[in-house]
This record gives sequence, structure tokens and C-alpha cells, in this order.
Amino acid sequence: MERLNIEDIRSIVRNLKIKMDAKRDYLIELDSAMGDGDLGITMSKAFTAAKDEAERSAEILPGKLLIKLGMAMAKAAPSTMGTLMATGYMRGGKAIGDIESLGTGELAGFMDAFVNGILERGKSKPGNKTIIDTLYPAAQSLLQAQRNNKSLKEGIAEAYTAANRGMEESNQMKAQHGRAAYYQDSSIGKQDAGATVGLLFIEVLYEYCR
Amino acid sequence: MKKFMNDPEHFVDEMIEGILAAHPDKLAYAADDLRCIIKAGNKKKGKVGIATGGGSGHLPLFLGYVGEGLLDGCAVGGVFQSPSADQMLEVTKAIDSGAGVLYIYGNYGGDIMNFDMAAEMAEMEDIKVQQVVAGEDVASAPKGEEGKRRGVAGIFFVYKIAGAMADALASLEEVKRVAQKACAHVRTMGVALTPCIVPEVGRPSFTIGDNEMEIGMGIHGEPGIHRGPLLKSDEIIDQIMKRILEDLPYKKGDEVSVLVNGLGATPKEELYILYRKVQQILKKEGISVYNTYIGEFATSMEMAGASVSLLKLDDELKRLLSSQASSPFFAQFQL
Repeated sequence: MERLNIEDIRSIVRNLKIKMDAKRDYLIELDSAMGDGDLGITMSKAFTAAKDEAERSAEILPGKLLIKLGMAMAKAAPSTMGTLMATGYMRGGKAIGDIESLGTGELAGFMDAFVNGILERGKSKPGNKTIIDTLYPAAQSLLQAQRNNKSLKEGIAEAYTAANRGMEESNQMKAQHGRAAYYQDSSIGKQDAGATVGLLFIEVLYEYCR
Repeated sequence: MKKFMNDPEHFVDEMIEGILAAHPDKLAYAADDLRCIIKAGNKKKGKVGIATGGGSGHLPLFLGYVGEGLLDGCAVGGVFQSPSADQMLEVTKAIDSGAGVLYIYGNYGGDIMNFDMAAEMAEMEDIKVQQVVAGEDVASAPKGEEGKRRGVAGIFFVYKIAGAMADALASLEEVKRVAQKACAHVRTMGVALTPCIVPEVGRPSFTIGDNEMEIGMGIHGEPGIHRGPLLKSDEIIDQIMKRILEDLPYKKGDEVSVLVNGLGATPKEELYILYRKVQQILKKEGISVYNTYIGEFATSMEMAGASVSLLKLDDELKRLLSSQASSPFFAQFQL
């Protein structure tokens, strides 16, 4: 697969919903250890709304569709993570513009804007034990792949490796945001639910393109 | 816990149902969502819409300032919780008359994130949105770090000033400018005597001892700057006024409007005892008082306590403050 077209995007969104549903209880368990435990529910709601919107919408441009998915997620999952995820989609969609399909470069642009949107909205930065700690390395890896003229398949495979490495590193980080921040030192060694969501996101892309 | 309610889960919606039932000629709701409160009746063509939003548990804040010469809409959250970006967007769409919408809200993380999001979504629907974040509680961050300060009762002045400006059909930029000016000219500090109870929690989430008070406590029970034995009211006002006056600073020859706000369980009698000392201090400092507001403007459920806010006036702010305004929770004739 060299490029992702609008139907690929619809399929990936469907796969994301399936993945988030399958991992719902796992995410609830992770989030309960340091947050309020609703992350699994939020993500399941958000991606169900995205899937429904993707099926309903007659949009033919990926960028426009991704913006609409963000709006739908914001409506369906008005919690912090739902809003951050929605922001990512809206910013990523905007960054893609009016092109009809995504290669390595466009996907890198999407992920970069996605991550920057979350950073800005969440007023966070890498290293604070959040969703960013898996998505940021993945986005950086895709940008690197773009510079090295890697294929989409290679680029995503490297991004998935980077996200996995980010996951491992984030386990050793200290939480700074949200309820998890109350746990400070005791958050070290625990797996962050948000970072896990970021990894699952990249995992779905990887599984679709491999 | 002793509260008048049915099911804690329905606390906010049943409160809104009651408010709408009592004031059907003044308030309505948008997008089939009770949490999207708007002014009843037709929009005034060419008028900038002003929206606010925030958690419940603070009446008359926030929805109580939706009215004539005040705000046009309010997104209502659960008790002490931010409303959603989508609710803010629905309010925005309902109140925009083509002249744009100004968001005015308090400096809290959840509200900021959601209003930012709503503004971004509104922009995609071709509605011009500007934002002013109010944060005037001098106890919540030191001078020099004003951007970290929480928004409390003083936001009333910002609503009143911006509302009057929008009512005169000023542009979005002009309404934003006076709202920012009001923010820059207002300072507040409070004191809490008892904790408050979130209905769904059912018990106080913090305690204040029988003979204790906490100076500078926030309206959700955020830590203040000093916990100690309850002092005489004059001594409390001495401490509060010292911090407020030196912060702006307010100086001899200035003219101010004063707001003494009750946090929910403090009787007006006590608020007037507090104001007595506020006025004595202002007189001694050579600061004149233009108009005084005493009562409940921003509460914290059943918390006993009070806050003092000063708005430093200039000709423009004085003119805007003095115009008439009315909502189900606040009304004033032309001063």
C-alpha cells in the first residue's frame, strides 16, 4: 500500500473503534490506578462516534472528513481525553488540506499537527507521562521517514516501533497532568492509560498498512 | 448532608428546569439541551453575542447573568465541572447575530480547554469568536503571575461592563477591549468559614475547624494563603484590604465600585458588617466609592464566607457600569 485514500481512512476509523472497544476494560483498569477510570469508556464513545460519522458522511476529501470526525468526537466524548483526541483530528485534518490521498509525507504532516494540537490544547509537553509520549515519537519518526523518502509501509512500521519505545519510556516518567499528577512519585513504574491510547492508535495504523 | 434535592444525579438539570419554569419570558435553551442557556426572544441584529460558562454550584454565577444589558448565553456544567466544548459551541451558534461572539469565563483549566475547542469549532462554522479569561483572585497567585489567578466574584464587573458595551452595538474588538480593561482593573480576595458539599459526593471534600477560617480559599475549596483561628471581622477585612489595595495598587484619589459577595451561607447582615470596615479603610486611604454591590454574586454551594472585590473606575468603565441591566438574578436601574 503506497497511499491511503478516503476509503482507507474509513476502514482505519472502523478498526480504531473495534480496537478501542476490545481494549475498553483494559484502559479502564489502567486509568483506575491513577485517574478516575473513565478513559476506556471515553475512548470507546469517541471512536464509535467517529466511525458513525465516517459512515454517514459523504465527504470525499480525507482532510475534510478527519475534521468532521473530530467534531463528532468532541460532541460524543466531552471529557479531557475526548476533547484532546478531537483536537488532534481537527488539526490533523486541517494540515492535510485538499489532497485526495495520504503518502508518508501527508501522514507525517497529519500526525505532526495532531500532536501539536494536543500539546497546545492540553498545555503539555513530551515527558509528562501522557498520550503525547507515544504519539510524539511516532510523529517524529514519520517526519524522519518522509525526509528519507521511506514508503508508507516502512514509515508506519518505524513509527510503531517508536511508539512502543515511547510507551516503555513513559512507564518510568512522573505524571504531571490531571488526576494522575496527585500520584507524582508513585506514578513512576505504572503504565499511563493515555500513552496506551496513543500506542493503540499507531498500532491500528500499523496493522492496517503492513 | 442536608440538601433539598431528589436524585443527586439530576441536581443540575432539575435546577435548570426550575429556573426555566420560573422565567420563561427571560430564559430559554438551545439545541434541545437544558445546559445551553440563552436569552429568550429575538436576537438584536448587529449586536455582539457574549457567552460564558462554567460549573454549577455558584449561582447566580454563571447563568444568572444572562439577561438584558448583560450576557446572551451560558453553557452550564455539572457541579464544579466544566461544560463541554460542544455545549459552548451550541450556545455560540444560538447567540451569534453575525457580529461575532465574545467568551468571558474564569481562569480554570477545564473551562479554558473547552472554550478554546469551542472557539476553534465555531471558526470552522464561520463565526468570529474572541475570548477574555478573568482571573482576579489575588490570593491564588502572587503579583507578577497574574495569569495564574483564578476567576471569582469580580467577573461580575467584567460581565456588566462588556454587556453594556455590546448593548450599545460596539464591535467585537471594542467589547473585548473593555472586558479586558475591566479584568485589569478588578481585584478580589475571599475568606471561607465552612466547607461546601458537592451533591454527588455527599460530604465535604475538605474541612475547616469550628473556630477556624481560611483566607484566600477558592470557590471550589482550593487552598488559600492562611488557615488560622477565626478573627474579628474588622481584622479579617484589614488583612484582605491590605492585599487587594497594594496589589493593583489602588491609590489616593481613585474611584472604585465595591462588591461584597456572600459565598452561600453567610447572611447579608454579616456582609454589611464586613462592608462597614471596607468603607472605613477606603475613606482613610482617600479612595472614593461610586457604587456598592452587596449580596450573593458568586457562591460556592453552602459555604459560609465572603469575598471583597474592587473595580477601579475611569470615565468609560463608570459609564458602562452605570447603565441599566436585568436578568432573573440581577437587576439595576440606570445609576
